[in-house]
Amino acid sequence: MSGQGQVSFRNIVKMHGEFAALKGVNFDIKPGEFFALLGPSGSGKSTTLRILAGLDAPTAGRVLIDDKDVTSTDARDRDIAMVFQSYALYPHMTVAENIAFPLEMAKLPKAEIAPAVKDAARKVKIDHLLDRKPGQLSGGQQQRCALARAIVRKARLFLLDEPLSNLDAKLRLETRAELKKLQRSLGVTAVYVTHDQEEAMTLADRMAVFMSGEIQQVGTPAEVFARPNSIDIAGFIGNPPMNLVPARYVDGDVIIAGHRLKTTTTTAGERDVVAGLRPGALRMTEGGLGARVDLIEDLGDTAALDLDCAGTMIRMRVADGNIPGEGDTISITARPQDIHLFDPATRMRL
Amino acid sequence: MTAKRLRIIALLAISTVFLLAWAFPIVWSVMNSLKTDSDVLAYPPKLVFTPTWEAYRDVLFGSGSILPNLLSSVIISVGTTVVTMLMAVPAAYALARLRFRGKKFAGFYVLATQMLPPVGIIIPYFLVLRNIGWIDTYQGIILIYLSFSLPFAIWLLVSYFEDIPFEMEEAAYLDGASRLKTLWRIIIPQVRGGIAVTVVFVFLNAWNEFLFAVVLSGNTVRPVTVAMFNFVSVEQTLWAKLAAVSVLAMLPVVVLGVVAQKHIVKGLTVGAVKGGGRR
Repeated sequence: MSGQGQVSFRNIVKMHGEFAALKGVNFDIKPGEFFALLGPSGSGKSTTLRILAGLDAPTAGRVLIDDKDVTSTDARDRDIAMVFQSYALYPHMTVAENIAFPLEMAKLPKAEIAPAVKDAARKVKIDHLLDRKPGQLSGGQQQRCALARAIVRKARLFLLDEPLSNLDAKLRLETRAELKKLQRSLGVTAVYVTHDQEEAMTLADRMAVFMSGEIQQVGTPAEVFARPNSIDIAGFIGNPPMNLVPARYVDGDVIIAGHRLKTTTTTAGERDVVAGLRPGALRMTEGGLGARVDLIEDLGDTAALDLDCAGTMIRMRVADGNIPGEGDTISITARPQDIHLFDPATRMRL
Repeated sequence: MTAKRLRIIALLAISTVFLLAWAFPIVWSVMNSLKTDSDVLAYPPKLVFTPTWEAYRDVLFGSGSILPNLLSSVIISVGTTVVTMLMAVPAAYALARLRFRGKKFAGFYVLATQMLPPVGIIIPYFLVLRNIGWIDTYQGIILIYLSFSLPFAIWLLVSYFEDIPFEMEEAAYLDGASRLKTLWRIIIPQVRGGIAVTVVFVFLNAWNEFLFAVVLSGNTVRPVTVAMFNFVSVEQTLWAKLAAVSVLAMLPVVVLGVVAQKHIVKGLTVGAVKGGGRR
């Protein structure tokens, strides 16, 4: 069934009474793509997924799957599989019965169900647990069972709603990598909801960043990281987040804390801006912006410095072996292409 | 002797006292049912006597056999239970899950019917049944019992349905199940504990009911609770037979309790949802 699973959202609006959960959302997902819906809680990403699944109906707009309007199609007729954050396993059924359920509903002959269940279980490495009930599984095993139930049907779309958030940190990293491999090997379109930018960055082929009911940017993780569309995205993507400092733009330069830095912009004129500087893009140099080191967080191979640049707080990441002492005064700069400029009024990229 | 041991002995003693107080009427009934009429009335009461099945033989196979009455009770109780459950399960599901106009009012109405004193409505019920010609009929009694058992069963079941996470149903829809199939395959198996409890309560209420039965039944439909009363008359009370019928009437209740106990297990949903258990 691969080659299927193309999704389009056309001006989707979702109202909860007076409150607009989604204010006209548009995006397209290509077949076979791993697409992340990223955003802070309450930004509308889960609502978007539920509308795609058919669990919620949009107030306005159209949902297209494989060029067919499914806006008013029942969830069960959309050929979509989903992994819930809580896994939603059926507690009275064994693992095998759980995985077999979607096939039974599809009225597959019994002789075909058993091998399909075994196969799906093997793919997520729980084929030795088929006779257990969900209550007898660990959190990670339950999660795998939910994955198996979703992949067994070979649906054209594979939805994941924060599937890793209930796992502990180590297991989350392992599962994250396996999830990506699994999706690649199945070649299925995956839509992945997360509030964890690192998850989205590592897993997604492309992602849509949600902010208060709107998509502010769609792109590959690298694109979004390199050219965030707005102050909100700039502050959301990257760890530690981008420094966003008030500054003055003058004829292609930006003045931060009294120091002039070159930008890639060449427009003449003068205005207030917000300058964005990634902590990792800052360099120590002679004759740059003067800064006092307030605090050092040593992370082993790197260190995060809290700098005080004449009252403006800036975070900087430096590599091991290059770390100044607390209280030292250093001088920093950034390359023109590493300086992002935003409009303080519209909060959008200039 | 350690303090712990003393405490256990004290606890055992106290629970024995409670157990005896609870068991006394049952033991007494069983004993009386095995006595002759003269032994029953002997004073001081005989604790040692020659047991006889005479009372049982009389009430079961004598001229005033209660077998038809036991059958009546079975028909009424099973009928009430089946009809109640058939209606209460979907109703409770709807109240727990669906959004519809007047839901709050419906919920309140269900509870409000439980607040009416039965004596207050027995005459209206009698008049209604008489007008439609259903006095002394099974459908009449079952209909009246439904008016109590249905709200009670719905009210009891709703909380069990509410314990099932929404996501469980949504998962089933996405797996391709219809609403009805979801209810049948996913929801009901998880509330079977609640259903078992409700069945027991509804059955017992119907089985033990006396007040409405005595007014609304007649010679055709006469449950055992009413028939029992025949052994009490102005001149005398046939204690041995009364006790025998009581014991017979108790048997199905005891059996049901023992059987249902196995099914009334809590925590069926444990592990279904991470962080699990009932919400």
